[in-house]
Parts: sequence; structure tokens; C-alpha cells
Amino acid sequence: MSANGYYGILLDVNLTTREVSRFQVPENDLKMFVGGRGLGMKILWDRLKEPGIDPLAPENPLMIMPGPFLGLPIPSASRTTVICKSPRTSPVSSPYANASSISYASMGGFIGPEIRFAGYDGIVIQGKANTPVYLYINNDQVEIRDATEFWGMDTDDFDKKFIEHLGDRRFRSCYIGTAGERLNPMACIINTAARAAGRGGTGCVMGSKNLKAIAVRGTGQPNVANHKRFLELLEKSRAAFAEDTESRRNWRYGGTANSITSASDRGVQAVKNFQEGTFEYAHKIGAKAAREQIWQRDFSCFCCKLACKKSGVAKGAYGGLVHDGPEYETGTMLGANLLIDDINGLNKAIFIADDYGMDIISVGNAIGFLMEAYEKNLVTKEFLGGIDLKWGSVDATLEMIHLMGKMEGIGKEASQGVKHLSEIVGKDSHKFAIHVKGHEVAAWNIHARPEWFGISYATCNRGACHMHGGSPSAQNQLALRDSIGACNFASSWFRNELAFHNFMSAITGIEWTAESFEQAGERIINMERIFNHREGFSRADDGIPDRFFEDAPTHGPSKGILVERDAFSKMLDDYYTQRGWNPETASPGREKREELGLGFA
Amino acid sequence: MNEVIHNQTRRDFIRKLAIGAGGLAVLGNFGVVFRLHGATGNMLRGIVVDFTKCTGCRTCETVCSAFNHLVEVDGEMLNGLGNPWLSNIKVHWYNPDVDIPMVCSLCEDAPCIEVCPVEPDEVTGHKPMYRDPITQTIRNNPDTCIGCRRCARACSRQRTGVIQMDANRRPIGMCSLCNGDPKCVKYCSFDALKYVELHDETEFRKMSPDAVARILIERFYDIRV
Repeated sequence: MSANGYYGILLDVNLTTREVSRFQVPENDLKMFVGGRGLGMKILWDRLKEPGIDPLAPENPLMIMPGPFLGLPIPSASRTTVICKSPRTSPVSSPYANASSISYASMGGFIGPEIRFAGYDGIVIQGKANTPVYLYINNDQVEIRDATEFWGMDTDDFDKKFIEHLGDRRFRSCYIGTAGERLNPMACIINTAARAAGRGGTGCVMGSKNLKAIAVRGTGQPNVANHKRFLELLEKSRAAFAEDTESRRNWRYGGTANSITSASDRGVQAVKNFQEGTFEYAHKIGAKAAREQIWQRDFSCFCCKLACKKSGVAKGAYGGLVHDGPEYETGTMLGANLLIDDINGLNKAIFIADDYGMDIISVGNAIGFLMEAYEKNLVTKEFLGGIDLKWGSVDATLEMIHLMGKMEGIGKEASQGVKHLSEIVGKDSHKFAIHVKGHEVAAWNIHARPEWFGISYATCNRGACHMHGGSPSAQNQLALRDSIGACNFASSWFRNELAFHNFMSAITGIEWTAESFEQAGERIINMERIFNHREGFSRADDGIPDRFFEDAPTHGPSKGILVERDAFSKMLDDYYTQRGWNPETASPGREKREELGLGFA
Repeated sequence: MNEVIHNQTRRDFIRKLAIGAGGLAVLGNFGVVFRLHGATGNMLRGIVVDFTKCTGCRTCETVCSAFNHLVEVDGEMLNGLGNPWLSNIKVHWYNPDVDIPMVCSLCEDAPCIEVCPVEPDEVTGHKPMYRDPITQTIRNNPDTCIGCRRCARACSRQRTGVIQMDANRRPIGMCSLCNGDPKCVKYCSFDALKYVELHDETEFRKMSPDAVARILIERFYDIRV
């Protein structure tokens, strides 16, 4: 039974012993860390008492955390965060061989609300099953079931067959493809065949536990503290979305794919392995092109009025598959970043990467690196497994995605990321290995916006991340959004009386203000930093690749623009000062920890 | 917190109708209902889906649930929070992507009523599964119902499959039309639901979600499953 928005209970699964218990979350942890990403971070700290643990070891907790907004019909409250220790990142120096940062990834859809309908505030999974299994959750009936028949299945096929196996289409599931099964570092967790908890290798950790899938069905719902007030806010938020605004129309029209052309126009897109900010053929792979040639339907996550997702079917040689694409990140990283302008080929590339269950941002980034290395004759065609990996080649890209998915030959090296690739290629290629802390930079380029994206990528605690935010305040608020389960795309409607913290007050019965909300976000980010610091991360790991200081774009609005090293260093200094962090360790000292209630760390 | 769950009653529906008809007294007056619904004599109105507009968001599920299952909070009857499990309209998802809201088709030849094995009782004059003559919605009398599930099976095998059995072995899932002001229609942000006259030829009427899915997948994606 839920009280005041929370059940206070997490499913605690030990795959080694195959035991499932209920973990009671201390009420103070709910108040301080809220849920979702924040609560996951606290549990990560509590469960991993020593630094340097191998992220593929059984004790790495894999957590699926919905957040207190979920299970309630608040518009767009559909996001669930997956948290674990990262298999992707590493510090410049550390006493620990397996040092790595925190990892988290957010996904939408319906599985988060369903976990809350089933009666849980989240799921914590530790241990490793000795044979492939899936986790079956049907209200309070929780079982670890055999998944041998599904091992070896990629995500689209699995999505269709698993629900038949479960025999009740009300189940919601998330799962890995064969990439996760093979412990591909770029593996992610997929739901509905096209939604991904994409970044940070969470699928790899899931595969390391021999866990194929999690299936959830629930018939309950959380309670709220102030029922009447909650209904008032709910009604008003629905009315706010009912207005026919340009913003709402844009989300419906193109989803994030709208940015494929607009980012290029502004010179801030990742183009040709981040050499450029503008793509001459962006219009061939953008939202308008997709609407005209591919998209058939707009669809939504739970209770969302934006319908930013699209399903379509490509034509011609690359046609016949139904999938959601392009979006901004997938369309840019496998499109503009590789100079691919064939929208049908692009859609196929997106489908294949999703089918294996791989982080498309990292995959596209790695392929861009290899295309550049190949063009510069730093690697041979043989090195690339015989693939003629030219800029703009759909077929070569598809071949490379397959090799990466299967972890064969060069694909195995590439799946370890661009940092690893630049180490084996050598010859100063690290200058165009576009990552931070070992995690690939995403589709927003840096030259023209170092003060926002530079800071976001440089300081994010899971490695390079475009969603972290460019200022402490923005970062704090985004961290809270990941902790309550709200979708960023809908956030601009939640203003004034409809601000997220007002919903939180009605749900929990605790008076949340904009300040206390942001402070909770600050606390979560500091908790992440403390974990990373303990692993050996320091200021040396907060940075951006040399490219942005040395190789200026040659055309478009960002032509000739370079980030100045000293200026960026100063931006980081300012950032640490604002955060109250030690500028060398780039982490909070005793005083800051006490201020945030993190004195225990 | 004490919670008391109330369902919308027939009395409320009639009251609403009366207000809508300018205060005409319609209680028990069957002839007035015919006139209210139009001269053609086709009196059946229900909910239809425009599948080109539905995005599968399931807001309809949450409002159906909230408005049809009130809770008592501090002595006041308020909407529930919207547990989709209690909804009469249910959205079915498929891969390839189509989303299919299913709601009771108010079948004129309702198999759920036909297969109900219990004889009409003397007091009400109808079987446990019956059609309410004023609202035209399908209803179940839990007191005379024996929980045999034949209605749910018939619905599932022959029509939309909306009827489910609840924890007390009584059929639920039959649309109440929310007293003539269906909330799913009102709250759908995409104009995908309409409250219109139902005919034999109304597209997708009385079809199972799987059957609808097959047609839509071909229509949207040119793929035959």
C-alpha cells in the first residue's frame, strides 16, 4: 500500500541465489534523494562499499528506478532511469584497475508506470544467474524464470515473441539484444523495440548478469498525500497542454528530428566526426523528409500529449522494416556525422543498431572516428575487415554496425569505444577521438557553444552527456527531473502553479519549493561526484577533446570558430567555484558535503 | 484514509438527459428517448476511434478509471487517480506499431447477454447481463450474476474482448458512457475518440483488437501479418 506517493519498497533481486526480497527504503532517503536517478545513486553508494569494483562483476547493482511521478496520469510522466556502475568510463589515473564512474540512462514508454502499478518504487538487481533468465513481476508475484529459449534473439524479434510467451499483452518489458548478451560495452536496454535506456553500457551490465529481460504487470496504483490538490493540478496541466501552441505542434510534427535541420542551420550539429557543425544535406534526412517519405504514425509515451515518437516504414533497397527513426541523436550520429544523406539507408542503420540493442550515439561516434582514420590513411581497409568505410556510405556503415553488434574483428575493437580505438590506431588519433572519460560525445557539437555543451560534456558524471546541462542550476534541475520521472520535452509546460515541485508537494505531502527542489538535484549530482572521486576521477577527467581547440569548422555559421583552451579552463574554474568544489579534485569538500547532508560519504 | 468507491448510477444518467432535454421528465418514458436520439429510429450512440489520430498515450484509460471509480476523501466524493486497470477502454499495443483503444461496441445482438445462462428474474425482468434501455449500455447485476464468465468468453471470442472478470468473479469493462458525457472522448488530446451514432457498417465495430491490428498494420505499413 502506498502512502504519500511512495510504496517505500524496492524489489531486491539476487540472481546468484535466485532470491527476491523487498527492500524497505529509509524514509529519509526518499526525502533526500527523491527517486529515479537520485535514489539509484544513493543505493549504488550504499551497496558498493569499496571503490574499483569490476562493473561486470555480480555485485554491480543494476537498478530500474521509476520516480514518484510515475503511475500517476501526470502528462508525460513516463521516464525511468537505469543506474549502475559504468562499464564505459575510466579516469586518467587511479589506483584501481577497474575504476569507472557511475552510469545512468533514462527511458520512456510504459514500463516505469507499470512497475509502480505493480507496487514497487523500483528494482535492484545484483548477482549473476548461472543460466539465462528473465525477471517476471506480476503484482506481488515475482519469479526468476528461464530465458534460455530467448538467448540469441535480437530486440525486435524478442519484442514480438516475448509477449506471446507471457500470454498477456498487458505486460510491459525491457530487455537486451545480442549485443548485451555478448557483453558489448555499448549495449543498452530496449523497450518497445525502439525506446532505449541508451547510454553508459547498462545493457552490458544486464548481460553480465545473464538477465535477458524484465516483464512487469501491475493492477494497483500509488496514493497521493493531497488527493484533491493533486486532481486540481492534474486538470490544470491537461488544460495547459490542450492549447494549440507552436511548440506542441512542432513536437507532434517532427519530434527531435526537427533539430536535424535546425542544429545544422545554426552550426551546432555533429558533422563528419565533429569536424563541422553544418551538414549540406541535413534537409534530406530531417523531419520534413521523414514526414514525406517514411513516417506513418505519431505516438506517445504514457499520458503524453506531445507524441514526439514516430513510426514509419522506409522504401526501396533499405525498406520494409517498421521503426522509429530518425530522431535528432540517431539521425545525426548515423547520418550527418557520417555524411550519410540517404534517409532510407539511415533508417535501416538505426533499426539494425536498435535491433542489436546498442547505444546509437556511441556507435555513430565510433564509426565517424573510423571513417576519418580511413580517409587519412591511418588505418587500412584490412584493418577495417575489408570494409571500404568511406564518408557517406550506407552499405559500409551497415556492415560496420553488424560487426560491432556481433563484436567481430574490428567490430570488437570499435565496440570498446573511440578512446580504445585511438589507443590501437595511435598516430595522434586521440585528437579526433571525441569522448569524455571514455564515453562518446553526442550529436550536439561544441565549437560554437562551449559554455553550454562544452561544460555539459566535460562535467557530466557518467562521461560525455548532452543532457547534463551547461550550468550548475540547469544540471541540478535536470537531475531532479530524472529523479521524479518527468520528461524533459514536456517540462516547459510545467511552470508557475504547475511547476514540478508543486506536484511533488501534492503527491508527498511535503512542501517542496523551487529552492528545495534544486537543492535535492544538487545533492544528487554531488553524490555522483563523490562516487567518482572515490574511484580516482579528478579535474583531469573533466575536459573536451583537442579537436575543439585545434580544428575549426570550414563552413556554416561556426566556420573558423575554435574554443580557446584558457577560456575553457576558466569556464571550468567558474563552474567549480559555483559548485563549491575543490578546483583540483573537482569534487565537494567536507563543508559542501555537510551542507547537502552528505556527511556520511 | 477511508476510501469508498462509487460507480455512476443510472439515476445520474437520466438526470443528465433530463437537464439536456430542457427539463423534460424522462424517467421511464422510453418514447422520449427515441425522440432525443433522432427521428431515424437508430438510437445507438457509442464511442468510435480514429486510428490515424490515436497515439497510444492511454490518457483515455486514466480518465475512464478516474471518473467511473470515485473515492471518498475527507467526506467528499472525488475522482480516482486513474488506475488504468479499472478502465473500460483499454489500449492494445502491437509491433509493428499500432495502438488500438478498444471499448464496448454496444452490440445490438450482444452475445454477452445472449449466452448469459441465468433466466430473467421476476423483480428486474432481465438476466444478470442486460441492456439498460435508457443508456443502451450493457450492465451486470452482481446480485443475480453467478460468475460463470460466459459473457467474457463470448465477448473475447466473438467481439471486442472488453469484458474481464473482477476479483469477485463479476464481469467488468462494459462502457458506461459516463452518463452521456464520455470522458475518454473529452480528454483525448488528439481528437481520436468520438461519441457518434453506431451502425452495422461503422468501421472496426465489434472487432477484436488482433483483427483491427492486422488491418491497420497493412494500411499503415503495407505489411501483412
